[in-house]
Amino acid sequence: MKNPFHRPLSAFWLASSAIALIVAVILPAVLLPFHLRVLQQIFLFGGMAIAWGFLGGFTTYWSFGHTAFIGLGAFSSALFEQWLGPAIAPELRLACGLLIAVVITFAVAILIALPILKLRGVYFAIGMLAFAEILGEASRNFDIFQGAIGVSLPAVSLPGVSSVSLFYWLFLMLFVVNSLIFIALRRSRIGMGLICIGQDEDTANMLGVPAERHKRIAFVLSACMISIGGVLYAHSLGFITTGSVFRVEHSLDMIVFNMLGGIGTVIGPALGTAIMVFVTQIVLGRLLDYHLMLTGVILIAIVSLAPAGLIGLVESRYRRRRSTQIGTAL
Amino acid sequence: MGRSITRRSVLRTAGLATAVPLFNISRGKAADKVIHFGGSLGMSGRYGETGLNVRMGYEAAIKFFNEALGGAEIGGKKYQLELGIIDDASDPGRATTLIQRQLDDGIDFFLGSYGSNIVLPSAAITEQAGKVTVQVGGSADQIFTQGFKRTFGFFPRATRAWDTSVSFFKALSPKPATISIVATNDAFSKGNAEGAARVCKENGFEVLDIIQLPATVTDASSALATIRSRSPDILITTTVDQNSLVIARQMISTDTNVKLLYQFLGPQLPLFRQTFGPKATGIVGQLYWDEGLKVTDPFFGTTKNYIEFYNAHFSRPISYHTVGASACITTYVKAMQKAGSLNPDAVRDALASTDLETVFGRVKFSPEGDGDAIVMGAKIGQVQGGAFEIVSPADSKTADVIYPTRKWSDKI
Amino acid sequence: MNGALLVQTAIDGLILGGIFSISAVGFSLVFGVLGIVNLAHGMFVLLGAYAALVLKHQFGIDPFFSLLPSFIVLFLIGLLLETSLLSGAVRRGSLMTTLLITFGASLILKDLVVLLIGPDIHTLDSTWTLPTVHVGSVVIDGNRATGLIASLVLLAVLSIVLAKFKIGRAIRATAQETFAASLCGVDSRRIYALTFAVSAGFAGASGVIVGIINPFSPTDDAFWTLNAFVTVVLGGIGNPLGSLVGGLLLGQISTFSSQYVGSVFPNIFMFCALLLMLIWRPHGLLGSSFRGSV
Repeated sequence: MKNPFHRPLSAFWLASSAIALIVAVILPAVLLPFHLRVLQQIFLFGGMAIAWGFLGGFTTYWSFGHTAFIGLGAFSSALFEQWLGPAIAPELRLACGLLIAVVITFAVAILIALPILKLRGVYFAIGMLAFAEILGEASRNFDIFQGAIGVSLPAVSLPGVSSVSLFYWLFLMLFVVNSLIFIALRRSRIGMGLICIGQDEDTANMLGVPAERHKRIAFVLSACMISIGGVLYAHSLGFITTGSVFRVEHSLDMIVFNMLGGIGTVIGPALGTAIMVFVTQIVLGRLLDYHLMLTGVILIAIVSLAPAGLIGLVESRYRRRRSTQIGTAL
Repeated sequence: MGRSITRRSVLRTAGLATAVPLFNISRGKAADKVIHFGGSLGMSGRYGETGLNVRMGYEAAIKFFNEALGGAEIGGKKYQLELGIIDDASDPGRATTLIQRQLDDGIDFFLGSYGSNIVLPSAAITEQAGKVTVQVGGSADQIFTQGFKRTFGFFPRATRAWDTSVSFFKALSPKPATISIVATNDAFSKGNAEGAARVCKENGFEVLDIIQLPATVTDASSALATIRSRSPDILITTTVDQNSLVIARQMISTDTNVKLLYQFLGPQLPLFRQTFGPKATGIVGQLYWDEGLKVTDPFFGTTKNYIEFYNAHFSRPISYHTVGASACITTYVKAMQKAGSLNPDAVRDALASTDLETVFGRVKFSPEGDGDAIVMGAKIGQVQGGAFEIVSPADSKTADVIYPTRKWSDKI
Repeated sequence: MNGALLVQTAIDGLILGGIFSISAVGFSLVFGVLGIVNLAHGMFVLLGAYAALVLKHQFGIDPFFSLLPSFIVLFLIGLLLETSLLSGAVRRGSLMTTLLITFGASLILKDLVVLLIGPDIHTLDSTWTLPTVHVGSVVIDGNRATGLIASLVLLAVLSIVLAKFKIGRAIRATAQETFAASLCGVDSRRIYALTFAVSAGFAGASGVIVGIINPFSPTDDAFWTLNAFVTVVLGGIGNPLGSLVGGLLLGQISTFSSQYVGSVFPNIFMFCALLLMLIWRPHGLLGSSFRGSV
């Protein structure tokens, strides 16, 4: 069996990805702002779903609380930029905000990783949920964080570029970066180690895989990339409260998008995000009364009909070997 | 299982079916003789109840214009009105995306949601696109301190909403000395609490405590224990109706008595008064609209006319949000008539100079766009015998105030 | 004065805890026996309250007598849900699938309630609640105390069924060792369906109590689901006693943090307690013999 980690990148995929990227970059010239906003959502939340997969895609550590990092990034940057004051240019403030967000998220992630990665399975999931709720509540309860009243963010702009297009490209960039990180991770030693952990952590430990270190690296990396997404998201909204960025729905969405598309891949979460955003915002967007119910129906239908995600469906159809899929291990 | 329905075929047809709406998105500019109103409401979240009330108000007004008046006459032409409300589910990402769609569809005039985390990002987009928003929900200060020129609100901002209440306190006898405030941890409630505390202190009242509760109140026992030990004369709760209900209920069952209970939102709703029956007597709240108000709307006519029309077509009971929403449409149409056109800039200027009597009462905006603090400030109402009577200001009152109110246990 | 406040806070915590306990017991059972996290739990609780509401408005039945009808209605709903949607995923042992299916179900149920009944807040008033009692300067909320007593009764009933009755033993056996139990003649599929249905029924009955005590609206479901999470992790999975202990503990944490730290803080303390318990003792205080324990 050919080793997937040393398989050369297929020319077909490289070429098609490059073409897709070029097309994506020039889309703002042809599409309406609404379409661009929909794509913004797909790139942003899809990118974050891929980042969630740094840990969850390879192992069975499925975090139910990644919205914690969206909020952490959003508030760190917002408060820091507010402290910097309007005298400094918004673009510079955004850069500083990104930096601060990553630093703070890095520190917090390392701190929480130590105890929380000791939990397994559903306990890890619940633990992360609790962590997210704690951060959310803290942002709301302590006046210094202004979560209840809300924080304004500076309006970032580039001359000649509409704000919709600007954030479209920023989110696209994030999506591409996250995808590249995911692919690099999968082909690296750490990725191999993570997959072993996902299959049988105890055996992996016995065989000398530095499980704790690998998990921590994946966790912190995932947290930081999601935090960057949070910073950009907050800036695209212009004003955030706790309820804008600390939302259980975001955590749930990351899992749903992965499950729908296929966990453990790059295309999976991207596809899952695209489908769900498309369904909830375009197809059901005008339905005032029934959209929640129909979202539930569609969710159940897809999960029941394609339990290994759409990628799993495609794979089983073409009978490709299941290379890095963990399957429904939990 | 034959070849007919397989998993794959279901997915394939589903895929095709969903591709269709993609090409159905924008039908281009609004048709000539129709005015489209856009905007979002939180229909499926915590504010679903208010959202539904507001929506009914919009629908009633639009139906009235289209059916009873045959359309709105602007600049010599008759226009049908059309409502395009979306559910933002209290998610700012969803709100902004779907409002953008409406902008792309060519909608110029927007109605607003509430909750500053939805209103602000939405208003930012409509403002940047040069469109107008008039909303009957959000009154948090930040909405009106951003420098927006095209966003209007029907209520005075949170920190200015207390002038009429303090005048009411001052007129009570024996004069109350101490006030405590209970607020929840969100922009609306906190802003109002701060406004109330400041205005009360400036007018010589002692503010004992400002107690903060979580945004959704399930248990106020510790707050009430504090109230019992500190015994303020007046207790103000700057809470939305669900939380006001919880607090009032717990006050009754823990026998927490104050001389006057002032619940910002709650007593106005018939459901609230029904729930408490005779125990509700004495509870005070802000009153923005009352059936007995003697006003004449330029389109609806008398209040009685409006109520009759509404009840003939909608079964949901009228709340002041409903009336406010209808008045929103009145205000819009009047501004369009004044401008003589549907150009958003012209309409915006006309809106800024609005001074109009509507079915909701007089409508006038401050320079920043929120409701003028004096003209659109609240009257004070008190529950008496199951009805919500106006007890202040003196020139509009329908009943004398009961102060101090009796203990819960004495009210049967 | 301080002593009285302490007692007051402790009593308020007990009473609040009783409500938390009963609303979590169904969740605990499902987690322990089927190994799934039921995200529709909060909606089951609310549906119980709404069932009582409908009975009250249509037939004038006092909510206390709606306990059994609510149980039955939710039992049937739970049975339907499990057999139609969940059974395959449960057998495969796929946690995330069941999570998503129950989440989807909660969305559907919530929307149905909003469409059929409305998004408004409702209350249930019962003439069978105890009056408020004053003991010195300590006030005991009559409404909530009644809820506590009703919770204890319901929990006792469930414990007895699990301990003494054949069906209870079958449920516990399936939870501990599914394969061995099936070798002994227990039909695990039937037990799964039954357990889920019983859990839903208890959630519904607890919903009636919840509705009597607090006003409710369709969006409260997240609160009750989260609550159940915390209660179950604190007290232990599967065991009704664990649910009781967890709930009472949670009640105390809530009222003490609210009184002595600040009234905004109960939620954050609740989640900190959850996190700490997970790190220290994931299977909870009474870490039971159910499969749910790690």
